[in-house]
Parts: sequence; structure tokens; C-alpha cells
Amino acid sequence: MKTKFVNILILFITTFVPSLLLANEINIYSHRQPFLINPFLELFTEETGIKTNVVYSKKGLAQRLKAEGDKSPADVILTVDIGRLYIYDDLDLLAPINSKKLLNNIPIYLRSPENTWFGLSKRARVIVVNKNKIKDGEITRIEDLADTKWKGKICTRPGSHVYNRGIMASVLAALGEEKAEQWAKSFVNNLAKRPQGNDRAQVKAIYEGECDIALINNYYFGKLKFSEDPEQRKWVENVKLIFPNQGENDRGAHVNISGGGIAKYSKNKENALALLEFLTSEKAQKLYGEINFEYPVNPKVLPSLELQKWGEFREDNLPIIKIAELGPLSQKIIDRVGW
Amino acid sequence: MFLYNWNSSSTLATFLATLIIAPIIAIFLSAFLGDTSLWPHLFSTVLPRYVYNTIVLMLGVGLLSLFFGISSAWVVTRYNFFGKKIFEWALLLPAAVPAYIIAYTYTDFLEYAGPVQGLLREIFNWNDSADYWFPEIRSMSGAIVVMSCVLYPYIYMMTRASFLTVPISFYQTSLIYGRNSFFSVALPLARPGIFAGLALVLMETISDFGTVEYFALETLTLGVFNVWLGMNSLSGAAQISSVLFIFVVALLTIEYLARRRQRFHEISSGQNMLESEILSNSKNFICFLICITPILLGFIIPVLILLNFVFSGFSVINFQEIFRTTFTSISLAFFGALFVMLISFLMIVISNYKSNNFQKALIFVASCGYALPGTILAVGIVIFVGWLNKIIHFHLSYVAGGFVVLIFAYTTRFLAVGNAAIRSGVLKIHPNAMDASATMGTGFFKSVRKIIMPLIFTNFLIGGILVFVDILKELPITLLLRPFNFETLATYVYQYASDELLQESSFAALIIIVASLGPVIFLNSTIQRVSQKKQSN
Repeated sequence: MKTKFVNILILFITTFVPSLLLANEINIYSHRQPFLINPFLELFTEETGIKTNVVYSKKGLAQRLKAEGDKSPADVILTVDIGRLYIYDDLDLLAPINSKKLLNNIPIYLRSPENTWFGLSKRARVIVVNKNKIKDGEITRIEDLADTKWKGKICTRPGSHVYNRGIMASVLAALGEEKAEQWAKSFVNNLAKRPQGNDRAQVKAIYEGECDIALINNYYFGKLKFSEDPEQRKWVENVKLIFPNQGENDRGAHVNISGGGIAKYSKNKENALALLEFLTSEKAQKLYGEINFEYPVNPKVLPSLELQKWGEFREDNLPIIKIAELGPLSQKIIDRVGW
Repeated sequence: MFLYNWNSSSTLATFLATLIIAPIIAIFLSAFLGDTSLWPHLFSTVLPRYVYNTIVLMLGVGLLSLFFGISSAWVVTRYNFFGKKIFEWALLLPAAVPAYIIAYTYTDFLEYAGPVQGLLREIFNWNDSADYWFPEIRSMSGAIVVMSCVLYPYIYMMTRASFLTVPISFYQTSLIYGRNSFFSVALPLARPGIFAGLALVLMETISDFGTVEYFALETLTLGVFNVWLGMNSLSGAAQISSVLFIFVVALLTIEYLARRRQRFHEISSGQNMLESEILSNSKNFICFLICITPILLGFIIPVLILLNFVFSGFSVINFQEIFRTTFTSISLAFFGALFVMLISFLMIVISNYKSNNFQKALIFVASCGYALPGTILAVGIVIFVGWLNKIIHFHLSYVAGGFVVLIFAYTTRFLAVGNAAIRSGVLKIHPNAMDASATMGTGFFKSVRKIIMPLIFTNFLIGGILVFVDILKELPITLLLRPFNFETLATYVYQYASDELLQESSFAALIIIVASLGPVIFLNSTIQRVSQKKQSN
């Protein structure tokens, strides 16, 4: 009995204590699922010989990093959405980086003024509609969704989700608090059902006729269109994308970023920087479009062919940090209108 | 009052309890030292909604779980009917299904686009949702049903163990007086077990995040996250957690009082179990129905849906990776459970025999971690460990350190489960037993080993198995505190399921269920053995 126990213990230890940490490695705290970032990391390791280790969690990594303080093993932070990226900066967990490459590869409105975080890819929050029921030109702006004629026609995920908080902040930046709240109130009045599900589920709801209009991040359209599941491919057949606010004097469509930065106490800043630079390189930037239907931040790289097919659009050049700064107020509005 | 009765063993228990409470204290410190300016906003907008939804959910899940758990426990113990032998253990199966997985599967199955409504539309020629009414699965009642379906086994198990050990003479007495033996004997005597199970169910309900997030139900736990991540305010989130905490303390107190008034000691000599009664056909069928319903809802249907995903998604499932992950998960759960139970054992025994009231209260509070949302508890642990690290500069490799932290986290989280199991065993030991041992000049720890250990070994096993299954299913703490490149089955499922990629996640989800089945079935045989032993006495 006792020897059996010892055997199990040894087996346990050998499984859990992998080879000693090598110098040529970097440790990543990621808010993106491993299956999404692995193709990039594999390519990076292939090119540089630097191995990568990942912890993935959607929540709490910033608190973990903060508590670990100067003993933290983390080198690179990768997240989606400026709202999450900004939390790291707010807690003073990121190191400022001086890199010409990054400054060249990333437009000024998509990185932090202090060079602590950088946008690595863009995603547009777009309107998706049932093309058999909504005529061209009937909806052209985010503001149009507040029109009472869409009562009972709109589906959405809960307002507290970071993507919706982002679009709320974008409206808030454009209209000011009073009008933005008015918009949110009317928008919520138009909902077909209680906010629920993720962006995929909204397209599904349109397909099934529960509603005609929804807000999604553009890449979900691609994920569904090329899904392994034939059922999901059907959902996108009768919907089309509308890039909002494209009028001549209008502000352009709200885009958000996935991004990253280097941990303040990283012991391996050089390799960490190598990863960030790699992610903005032309090769990796192309990969963002091919793997996850996201737009490149690097102006020298064209969106993938598939993305180009969905149409060109003009984006809102509001400094992305504004979206994060307005996040808490946006959440308050969302709480008040019950989105 | 807490100055007397300090001794080495109670000091040890006090120290352990303090260690375990520390992460919770860390959260509250950050709540009240932090910014409190959000309170007025929260009060006037979302807080009433959060509290209301939480109460409704608790009431609903509590009542439905009680109904499922007690009714099935009574009929399988008392009556002989078709399938009884199978139901005895099959009723435990839903315990193997994590609530977040059952939520995913049922949504896919029952929502507008799912196969059930699709079929109905086809049969009745309905065109769209305006043509008919169908219950919305992503709703309060949907959440109540799916959560009750997987949580009732806690009540079933504890209640059944009580029913099995009620001496036959009690039933006979009730028969003599023409009373209903269920209401006048079995139910009152099973009250400690029922409350222990109910408390666990309600604590799981309060702390659940996966299901309420998926169903977009605004409970306090969901609110904690909205404030933390949405308003970038950990202190605001901690403040909402403190409202949660009030619920938990209330629950634990009710449970404690219910147990205290019901404290009775078994004197096991010459007791026999009542023979199960053989029933008429119609009653036979009713019993069958009472037992099959929760199993069908909590196990058979979700497993069939998952199997269907596995077959349809065969090409996208990475089997090799999942098998590797399975091994990691099982070993982690095994060692975690062992550790939790040892701590529970130590604390309950000491609290029962060696502690003053202050220490008892502390040990009692140490089980509160079970009811806090996992991620919030994880953040408390992260803060506490970071703070500890600054003071004593312990140096562990990141990998080993990661595991120490994980096991510590599981202890703060699941101690309540271990404590409930151990306590119900210890309370049944007659105080004279330990006193007798002491009069023989045997020391306290030796008496514990000689007297208590053998008497509550079954409880140790039951608790251990529950904790094992809990760790296997545990998601938020593992997700946040794990070392690099480390996946358990639950985190593996989550990375896909959170993106509604159910096919990719289905096989791993199924493995979680299968891996929990073994222990669950073993658990049943243990309960069975105990009752047989009693019968043969």
C-alpha cells in the first residue's frame, strides 16, 4: 500500500515538473485561447528558436501579475480588447518600450501614449442584418439602431460584455453622456429578447427569425462562414454586414484591438520585445487575417483576401485609449438602462 | 472567553483556519480600503436586481433539489420497485456532470435553433417563434432546473445515509401509533443530513458563474464580475462579494443550528433496517418515475447530447492531448482531495474536542470559501500569497510554487465539503468514547487514531470522493492560478466551450463525467456497505 502510494507520488512529480526552465524562453499571460495564439507562437519559435510558455485565463491575470510583483515570471501580456489591456497599464504593470519597429508598424491611435501597450490586430464591431428583411441604406449608422421602427427586431449579447462596453464608449465619445444614454435606452427598448448569448448566437438568432438585426465583431462572420459545422455555415447565408457610420462627414466604424505589452518585471525583456515585434511583422500580420479574420494594424499589410471581399470601410480614428477611459462610465450607463 | 483552553492541538487548528481564511480577509481588506464611491451607483441601479435574482435562484434550486433528493432517497430506501438496485447508484450520476456543461448542452438542445424546437416546428408546421410558445431555456427557470438536476445528489446522498441508519425500532414505534413513518420519523431524523446537503447545494448555487453567465442571469456573482472587469474596480467587486458573504454566513448558521438541535448519538447494538416494502403496480410506476426523472434530466440527456457532438465532431477532436490532460487532472484531483480531507479531519476533530468557542467559530468560518465565486477567491489567494512572499521571501520554483498555491486554493475552496462529511461522522460518535479512552491514560492523538479514525473512515472516504469530483470539475480557480502550459480537463473544455465550439470540447467534457463516475459509484457501494454492516449487527 505504502509503496504504491510512493509510486503514484513519483509519477505525479515527474508529470508536473517539466524540464527546468531554459533561458531561451518567454512566459506569456494570455487572455486569448491557446488554440488561437498557438499558430503565431509556433511560427515565432521556428524563426527565433525562443520557446514560449502560456497561461491562459480570461479574468484575473492582471491581479495575479500585480500580486506576484517583482517576482513574477511573466514576460509578455497578450489580450483582446483595449478595456482589458488598459487594466494592466492602470495598475502600472507594463514596461515602456522603446522600439522603432513597433512605432513604425503600429499607427499612433492604436498604441499607448507612453508606449506601454500596443495594438496587434483590429476587429470592427459591425451591424449584421437579415438581408431579405432589411433593405440597403435603411441602416447606415449605429445611431439608427435607436429608431423605434426596429422595435422587437434587435438581438444582442449582454451590455456588460467588454465588446458592447466598447461600442457604448464609442457612442459616448461621439455624442456625450446625455445623448449616449438616450441612445442606449432606445436601443434597449428595441430588443427582441433579453440580452444573452455570444456573438455567434446573435447570427444564429437572425437565421432562426428571432430578430433581424444584431451587433457582432466582424471575425465571427468569417468563423461562421468557414465553420467545420455545416449548420453554422447556413447561419451566415442570409445575413450581410454593415460597416456603420461611413458617411462622408461621419466618424467611421468603431474598431477595437487585440494587443500586448511587456511585463514591468520581465527578466527577459529582449525576447519579449522580439515576440511583440514579430507579431507586428508582415508575416504575422497576414496570419491574423487568415486565422481569425482580423484586420492588420500594420498599414503596410493589406487585409486578407477574404476580408477584402467583405468590403472596404473607414474606421474611427479616435485614440483607442479613449474607449478604455470611458469604460467605467459606459458600464454605468449600461447598468442604468438595463442592457 | 477565548483566553482559556489553548493547547498545542487547538493552536495548530487555529493557525490552519487563519491561513485558510486569510485569502477571504484579503478580499475584504481590498473592499473597504478601496474606493467606495461606486456604492451609490450600485445601490440605485443594479444591486437590488442582483440580490433579488440571487434569492429567487437560491429558493428555486433549493426547493427543486430538496424535492429530487429527498423523494428519490426515500423511495429507494423504503420500497422495492422496478430498477431499485440500479437507481440506488444511478441517482448519484448527475453529480459527475459540471453545471456549466449541462448549461451548454441544454441550451444547444432546447433553444429556438435546437433540435427539439426544430422538430416541433416541422411536425406542427409552425413558421417562426410567433406561432407557438416554448419555455426559454436561457431564463431563471431554465437555470433553476439545470442546476437542480446536477446538485440534488448532495441532498440525496446525505439524506439516504441518514435514512439507512435509522433504527428499525423507530419505524416500528411510529407504526404502533399509526403515524406516517416518513413524516414523523425519517424526515425529522434525517434533518442534519438534509441541511448539510442543502447548504452545499445553496453554496454551489451562489458561487456559480458558468451557468449564470451563459444564461445571462444577473445574480450577485455575475455582478461581481461586471463591476470588477467593467468598471475596473476590484474594490467595488469585493464590496458586492461582501453582500454575498452575508448570505453565506446566514446559510452556514442555519445549518449549524439545525445540526446542533438535532445532535443525537448512535448506540449501535441490535438495530436492524426495515425490510423494503413491495408495491402495487401503480405505486411501482410512481417510484420509478420519481427516480428516473432526475437521472434523465441530469445525466442521460446531457450525456447523449455530448456523445452526439463527439460523433459529429470526430475530426476536430484532439484525442491525444485530451488523454494527456486526463492524467494530469486525475492526479491533481487525487492529491488535492487527500490534502483537503486531512485538513478537514484535523480541524473538525480538534474543534469538536479541544477548542474554545472562539476557535470553533474560526474553524466554522474557514468553510466559507465554498460559497465565494471561484475567481474572486482566486484573486484573494493571489493577493495573500503575494503579500506572504514579500514578508517571508519563500523561494519555490514557479512550477512547484504553482502547485502549492493550487492545492492551497482547493483547500480554501472545498474545505466546506470535507468538513460537512467529517462533522456528520464525528457528531455521531458518543462523547463517552473519547472520555473512556482518556481514562485509559491514552493521549489525545492516539485516541483519535484508535477511536475516531476507524469510526469515521467512511465519512472520510465520502468527503474525499466529493472533493475529488469537485476538483475535477473546478474551473475558475484552476484557470487563474495554474502554472504555465498546464491544462486540466475543465480548462480544456472551457477554452472551446466559452467560444461555443461545443464539438471540440465535447470529448473532454465527457471524460470529466466518466472520470467522476468511478468514484461516484464507489461512493454508493460504500454507503451500501455501511448500511449492510448495520443490518448484520
